[in-house]
Amino acid sequence: MTENTTPTGGFSRRRFLELGAGTAAVAGLAACGGGKSADDAAGADPTGEFSAGYDGPEIELSYWNGFTGGDGPFMKQMVADFMKDNPKIKVKSNTVEWAQYYQRMPAAVTAGKGPDVGVMHLDQLATNAARKVIVPVDDLAEAIGLAQDDFTEDVWTAGIYQDARYGIPLDVHSLGMYYNTESFEKAGVSEAPADAAALTDALDKLKSAGNANPFWMPSRWPAHLMFLSVLWQNGGEPYATDGATATFDSDAGVSALTWMVEVINKGYSPKNVAQDSQYVAFKNKQVDVTWDGIWQINDLKAADMPFALAPVPVVGESSAVWANSHNFYITRQASQDENKLQAAKVFIDALSKKSGDWAQAGMVPARKSVRESAAVKDTTQAPIAAQIDDMRFLPPVPGLGDVQAQTLEIAVADAILGKSQPADALKSAASKATQLMGENLKKYEA
Amino acid sequence: MASSDTAASTTAGTASSERPEVSRPSSVSRGRREGGGAAPWLFMAPYLVLFLGFVIAPAIYGLYISLRAYDYLLPNKPFVGLDNYQKLFDSESTTYSDFWNSMQATGIFTLFSVPLLLTIPLLVALLMNSKFKGRNLFRALYFAPYVLGVAVVAVLWRFLLDSNIGLINQYLGGLGLPDGIPWLTSVPEAWVALVGVTVWWTLGFNAVIYLAGLQDIPGELYEAAKVDGANKWQSFRNVTLPGLRPVLAFVTMITIIASANMFGQSYLMTKGAPGIETRTAIYYIADTGLRNSQMGDAAAMSYVLTVILIVLSVGVFWLFRERKD
Amino acid sequence: MATTTVRPPAPPTPSTAPDRRRPAKRGSLVRYIGLIVLALLFISPLLFMLVTSFKTRVEAAGAPPTWIPQEPTFQAYDAILNAADTPVLKWFANSMIAASANALIVVTTAALAAYPLARMDFRGKKIVFGAIIATLFVPPVILIIPNYLIVGELQWLDTLTAVIVPTAASAFGVFFLRQFFLSLPRELEEAALLDGANRWQIFARVILPLSKPALVTLAVLAFLTNWNDFLWPVYVLFSPEVQTLPAGLSTLQSANNVRYDLLMAGAVIASLPVLLLYIVAQRFIIEGVSRSGLKG
Repeated sequence: MTENTTPTGGFSRRRFLELGAGTAAVAGLAACGGGKSADDAAGADPTGEFSAGYDGPEIELSYWNGFTGGDGPFMKQMVADFMKDNPKIKVKSNTVEWAQYYQRMPAAVTAGKGPDVGVMHLDQLATNAARKVIVPVDDLAEAIGLAQDDFTEDVWTAGIYQDARYGIPLDVHSLGMYYNTESFEKAGVSEAPADAAALTDALDKLKSAGNANPFWMPSRWPAHLMFLSVLWQNGGEPYATDGATATFDSDAGVSALTWMVEVINKGYSPKNVAQDSQYVAFKNKQVDVTWDGIWQINDLKAADMPFALAPVPVVGESSAVWANSHNFYITRQASQDENKLQAAKVFIDALSKKSGDWAQAGMVPARKSVRESAAVKDTTQAPIAAQIDDMRFLPPVPGLGDVQAQTLEIAVADAILGKSQPADALKSAASKATQLMGENLKKYEA
Repeated sequence: MASSDTAASTTAGTASSERPEVSRPSSVSRGRREGGGAAPWLFMAPYLVLFLGFVIAPAIYGLYISLRAYDYLLPNKPFVGLDNYQKLFDSESTTYSDFWNSMQATGIFTLFSVPLLLTIPLLVALLMNSKFKGRNLFRALYFAPYVLGVAVVAVLWRFLLDSNIGLINQYLGGLGLPDGIPWLTSVPEAWVALVGVTVWWTLGFNAVIYLAGLQDIPGELYEAAKVDGANKWQSFRNVTLPGLRPVLAFVTMITIIASANMFGQSYLMTKGAPGIETRTAIYYIADTGLRNSQMGDAAAMSYVLTVILIVLSVGVFWLFRERKD
Repeated sequence: MATTTVRPPAPPTPSTAPDRRRPAKRGSLVRYIGLIVLALLFISPLLFMLVTSFKTRVEAAGAPPTWIPQEPTFQAYDAILNAADTPVLKWFANSMIAASANALIVVTTAALAAYPLARMDFRGKKIVFGAIIATLFVPPVILIIPNYLIVGELQWLDTLTAVIVPTAASAFGVFFLRQFFLSLPRELEEAALLDGANRWQIFARVILPLSKPALVTLAVLAFLTNWNDFLWPVYVLFSPEVQTLPAGLSTLQSANNVRYDLLMAGAVIASLPVLLLYIVAQRFIIEGVSRSGLKG
């Protein structure tokens, strides 16, 4: 392994071997094979002060993300600021809406036309790692001083697949409960409900105040996230961490889904709520309470309506809420060019430091140090940030996202639409999910 | 094309009747003197390159893929024989119910859309089948949605059919009818929406073809029927329909094929909602193969769908052939 | 093609006798009512699309819907036209380029291939023709997955070539043009042969000029098919600069789920150029399409 800081000239390009294989040194950094251990020492400053300068030739970095909503402009600004500070790196952004992102990005990288660096959700890291679309970033993590105690354990471990770290967390975002402050005042609800009883009480008051359906229960997004939150609150787990079985049909799950169906049966919600319509209705002030992601904050602010955000009430036994996290990754495409790789690392380092700015987009910074700073304390999502220890993430199992879309999401939709009983829907979905997870294990073992 | 055809046959008729009978050298009329050898192949070459490369080769490649557990993002693509096909007929497998659900969706859509797409445009064409002021304007207007394309049409109608704020429900409410119809999120309402939008979109296309067919029917036949005392319905049955037969066959074929291949409306308007009920076969195959990259499964599914469609096409073809005597 | 061979029962001119005029007028009045109602069904959604594109963000998603924007604004157009990741005009241009190129290749290759199949004898003719016809019955679904891989190997993913070339081999085109060539009188070709012309000259100078209507029909059909193609571009094109209209609009929709003002503005921008083109060329287009069903 040679330590070589001149990117061109006497240094022949080498192909980077992916996970589990050997290592190659480039421009002072090493792309690690396995383990966040010694091998990355070549050139990286182990004390953690990343020499975040890029001194190669002018380069174009392709950057993909899925920030199409209210968070889009903030990311664009952060990228623009980065380019001002680093004139030699031209960042070419491509924003692909998340649903299409996870199909397009791997296809594009395989075709050589994908991003060099990008953002993806935590629960997709394992899948893309297993497909060797992205490469481990342990060295970068260590170099920029990411330490386990700066994160919650869940966020930290969920980014590791087969003992290598694949993502640098930018933020965490969870579900929250939005409510219309004016309606609450009129109905005499003095504070945001914190548990099931208080929620029912508030909804009853809202009903008496004149809103026949104050809380709409969606059947599709984000219904399965609500389900997962209550499942975790009930003490259950949706999937076994070994990635072999689905366990969301446990009693905890059945009781969670039953609660959701009850909201409709008790008349708080109409049946057949169309996709996204509960959110639009909330914006139009027809609905007083809705659960949605904290990423909607800016969109709601733009809608100019009186709202507030509180943590999701504890419907179950203890506090928990579904969460996800945006993570930076580097693709194998970038890892094949030492300049691109260096530029990518500089980029990630700079942007992850800006997670305070990112808080303006409604997200909760992943790093504790940033989270506890003043930048976050005054934001709308501050109450959510305070609950970070209750946030739960899906385990890092490859292919889990697709499995969930084909099974759990459908089961939740079916039960809420009244097409089947919660227990039955969950049971058949879980058995199918287990089958699929088994197939996936075999597939990715190769 | 009709006019040039008849013109061609008339000139041929007159020409041959005027020319003295000359025994033509067989080689000229058969073209063998100039037509053998490399010439035909040179002519066909550009087409054949594309044909072999993008039709024949992929068809065979598809078979190859369907015999493997093929995920193009992974290095290993192990041979699994007929497993992927077997899974489609094994009710315990992971692909069975989704696949047959999607086939059912395609079936329902085709069943409901084809009759409407065959009859309504015909009615419109009949209505337009005479010279009157503004006919070309109407014709152009009805054809316009087709030119706009499926994406514009689907995006527009998704908006109009929104169960909360969409125009359709607002007007229904105004008329005193139920105003919360979940057009895009519940079956059977979603089918009504999908079929309705498809009719709106392609009515003009079929109507235009019908209109040409109608205008191809010689006026004398109608006059003759009138002389025989036929009323409008009878002349429709005995003059119009037979005269339209080839056009009917053509329109039926293309409509069935288009309906069986429906993708855009489902993808943009319902996304397969409520659960997967409106996810058509093509949508599911594309999802499985290109989104989940389970290409082996998707390829097998596409072959099963193909067999069914071929049987259907041949059936329709035969149906129309039989009556034509 | 525009000339009718069927004469209307009675011309609705005021100079005819009153008793002949009345039934004709009643008939044509009913006809006009029917056609106008239908026309409204077609125009009003498009009108609403236009109107909504000038609304504010809140009004567009508000209820009840308004036909005249309360505060008309260009904000939606501003947002779309200035957003780098939704270059609607570029998408339109890409669609135009792709559809035109595709139509050109379809017509050229099909005409070239149909001629020997119609007019020449050679060994293997039956096999070639049979193979082409057989694929008429084969639905394109079996080609999606393998073609995707092939296009990936050829490095055409995310380029317009991927939506132009793979679909350019049209079995229908060959079939259609062959039918047409068969219907042409042989005399002209034979005369040219006697004059010593070779096959290419006969094709270019005799056959092609006679085939203009059929070629135009095929070109129009191929253009429209490619223009409307949705599934394939959605999967093979991913960068905003390369996407065609359907793929781009679907991106716009998923990205702005409930921003109906933006969606309608995008749809209007996508429609206007097409509509303008259509107004100019509609007779041409419609007549091309209408011929496709005849003698085909």
